[in-house]
Order: sequence, then structure tokens, then C-alpha cells
Amino acid sequence: MATSFEEALASGKFLATASVDPPKGTDLEGLGQLFKELKGLVDGLGVSDNHQGIMCMSPWAVCKLALEEGLEPIMHMTCRDRNRLALQSDLLAAASLGIRNVLCVSGDHVRFGDHVNAKPVHDIDSVHLLDAAKGLAGGKDMAGNTLEAAPEFFLGGVANPEADPLEPQLMKVDKKIKAGASFLVTHPVFNMENLKRFMEHVRQSHVKVLVGVRLLDPQEVPKYKDGAYPGLFVPEKLLEETEGADIEKCTEMAVAVVKEIKGANLCDGVHIVAPGHEEKIPEILKAGGV
Amino acid sequence: MIVAKRKPFKEIKGLVSGSKKILVLGCGTCVAVCLAGGEKEVALLASQLKMALALEDWDLEIDELTIERQCDREFIEEINHKVNVDDYDLILSTACGAGVQLVSDVFGHKAVVPALNTTFIGVAEGPGVWTERCRSCSDCVLAETGGICPVTICPKGLVNGPCGGTRQGKCEVDPEKDCAWTLIYNRLKKLGRLDRMEEIAPPKKWSAQQHPASVIHEAYKRRYE
Repeated sequence: MATSFEEALASGKFLATASVDPPKGTDLEGLGQLFKELKGLVDGLGVSDNHQGIMCMSPWAVCKLALEEGLEPIMHMTCRDRNRLALQSDLLAAASLGIRNVLCVSGDHVRFGDHVNAKPVHDIDSVHLLDAAKGLAGGKDMAGNTLEAAPEFFLGGVANPEADPLEPQLMKVDKKIKAGASFLVTHPVFNMENLKRFMEHVRQSHVKVLVGVRLLDPQEVPKYKDGAYPGLFVPEKLLEETEGADIEKCTEMAVAVVKEIKGANLCDGVHIVAPGHEEKIPEILKAGGV
Repeated sequence: MIVAKRKPFKEIKGLVSGSKKILVLGCGTCVAVCLAGGEKEVALLASQLKMALALEDWDLEIDELTIERQCDREFIEEINHKVNVDDYDLILSTACGAGVQLVSDVFGHKAVVPALNTTFIGVAEGPGVWTERCRSCSDCVLAETGGICPVTICPKGLVNGPCGGTRQGKCEVDPEKDCAWTLIYNRLKKLGRLDRMEEIAPPKKWSAQQHPASVIHEAYKRRYE
């Protein structure tokens, strides 16, 4: 998997991608070890940006480590924590480190995180951020000033095929594509009918779609139930199944979802998220046949 | 209108601590309508303070006065016709933050403290219920969004559509509240104007919202030049 994430997506094969969270602290040893295991297994590795509003190391540092380990990082960038100046300057910094793939997101509200009294910035939204990154790549900043040297980016956005109602979500997705998204990473999908409906719409465009698969954690079921994870809509039946399972069983369940998504031949790849159990990512991908 | 809420009683008690005679000054406009700082609320707060302080053997004399508006010098000056401000150690204002500041400007030699927390610009939904409707951003998008403000109603102020957390039309931040973009979508659909939602809304011009803001009416510009 020496090719870039962009080339891998263009190849037409079914891609394996995943996401990890940076550490809350400066210890990168665990992630370094995981990256060695993921090398050759993933076509792109997402690195979250203060996921759920939880303060962690900036993703560019982790993306740099991923690059050094021979992985293709996909840097998440949230509009929640920075205004348009900071977002653009961080995009330039990332590009200077060799980080090309950027996932532009609005970001979970600070109320879900560990700094609930922080001011949510949201100066611009994810559509604007895509447009801004595209503009930087074209040699101009958001104010129209010319850059001394332009960065290169391969840009993506997030979508939730299980958002209800779906129609406004699809309209937003169309704007993201128009603004410069070449790929979409979806929230974890549990209902294949929802995914089909979503894919029918987005297949009208060129955009590539990586469908989210989440390793559910029995310990987390109460949080799934009370909506502590925004955009994660676990069906009641699956909640019951997860509650009575151990992490090994949950891993098997995630593998089954990967197989189902791959078998349905609807999208361009999967995107595994396994918060707290990242060591299971290689197993899920291998057993899932991607 | 401006909606405000009374500060916790313990905090108010702390604010008047050390005083011997205070004036509880009400405002008869917005905060009276939202039942936070009008004449009745002034009477209630004064009584509550008297009772609580009596139990602590704290001898505090409290007078009450409510004027039409504390955000207008014309009405504040009326205070001088009704009481002698110099008789008081402190003025406890039940106006919004704007009113407290103007009273403080007019009586610059007197401590003026707020009894309320100013909360938002909103509307009355029904008896005793107010909701926020405007962030006074100085760059109104309501014409494009079916008369529903995403900057205010969406907790992230998103101007290009919903985030991924909408569930059964409700907001991820508070499932008791409607998702702003579901409301906007439904309204625009009803109006036959969904095409408005297809266009990318540009980034907000926050420069329009300069702080501290001021407005001089065209007709009065020459006077202040």
C-alpha cells in the first residue's frame, strides 16, 4: 500500500481505513506501536481533532508520526476550536509536514467534551473549511490574498446516512461536494436500508464514500442509550446484543458489519472506529476481508 | 425583547453585603415582561432580602423604585425626582446589563450592581416561557432560511445545513429541542423555496458585529458629527 490515499481511492478497489484519537498527553508510544501493526493494512488513517470536544494532542503531530511510519494520514480538522485564521494557518502547517489528506468537520459540540465551559468557535462551517482549503490549494487565502507557495490537499467531509430527516443532510452533503470534498467518511451505519438510500443520492456525484463501522463496547451501552455520542444511533436490538456480550463478541459483530457492507457493493470502503480498543482494528479488517 | 433571569439569591446577598441602605431599582420594560425585574419582582426581591437579613441580625434598609426603562437616560433622570440617590450605599438594579450600565453611568459616584443575568434576545412562547431567537449578529440571513435563524437556533450556528447529529428532527445537543435545520428545511419546503437551501451560504461577516456596537440614525447624524 505504498500509493497515496488519493490513488488508492481512484484505483477502484474496496478500501480499508480507520481512525484513531491522539493521546491526552505527550506519550505517542502506544500509537507508534499500533501504526506499525496497521502498516500495510489501511489505505488511510484518520486522526481525530479533539474528538467529541475532548482536549487531546493536535492531530498534525500524530499525522506526522503516521507519515514516518509509512501510513497515509487523514487529518481531521474541526471548526469548533479555531477561527478562520487559525484553521488556515494550521492547514498550511499540516501541508508543510507532508499531510495532504484533510477531513473537514464542523465538530461535536463542546457540551459532549471535557471542557464544557469553552466557547464553541464555529466562525466558519465544514462547507466553508472545504472551500477555504480548496482556495489555499489554488494559491489564495479566504481573504483573497496570494500565497507564496500553495499547499496540496485531498479533501473530504463527513456525512451521516442515518440522520433523520435525511433530506437536509443530503443537501449539506451536496454542498460539501460542491465546495471540494472528494471523499466522504460516514458516521457508523447500522441500518443498510439507510445506507442504500444515502448511496443512491451520493452516487449521482463523483464523490467516494467510506462507510463508518464502529466497534461497540459493552461498557459504553448506557452512553449509547443516552445520546452521549452525537450522530451514533445504535438500534435497540443491537444495544441489547452488545450489553450481553464481551469485547471479543463485539469484535465479531463489527467484522460481520464490515462483511455486510463490503458484500453489498455499495461504497468504496470502510472506516473502522474502535475507541478504547484500537488494537482490534487490524483484526476487524483482516477478518472482514478488506 | 431582552430576556433575563434573576441571579441566585445567595449571590445577590453577597453583592449587597456591607451596605446599610440600598435602593432596589426595577425596570418596567423587557425584564418586567419576562417576570425577572419589574415592579412585582422588585417587591419580591426586597421582601426576600429583608426576611433573610433579619434572621442574620443584619440591619439593612431597603427602598424600592421601578422606572419605565433603565436603558434610556430620560427615564433614569426621573429617579432624581422620586428619591435622593445619595441616601443609598448601593443601587441593586433588576434591569438587563445595558440598563445596569446606563444607571451606573448616570450615577457614576454610586455603586450599581446587577440582580439579574441577561440571557438573550427572544420571544414569549406562552405564559412564562421565552426562547432565544436572535444573536444580533448584524448580518441577518433570515431571508434565506425561511425566517428561522440558524445562527441562533443551531447551537453551532451552522449556516449551510445540519450537522450529522439530527435524530427524529431533534438537536444532538438537546434532544428536547428541534434541529434548526429540520425546521428550516420544512419551512422552505412548505414555502416552495427549497432552492434557497441549495446555495452555499458564505462565511458570516463577523466584522459587521463590532463591539461595542453603536447605531446613529441617519436623521441624527449631523447632530453628532
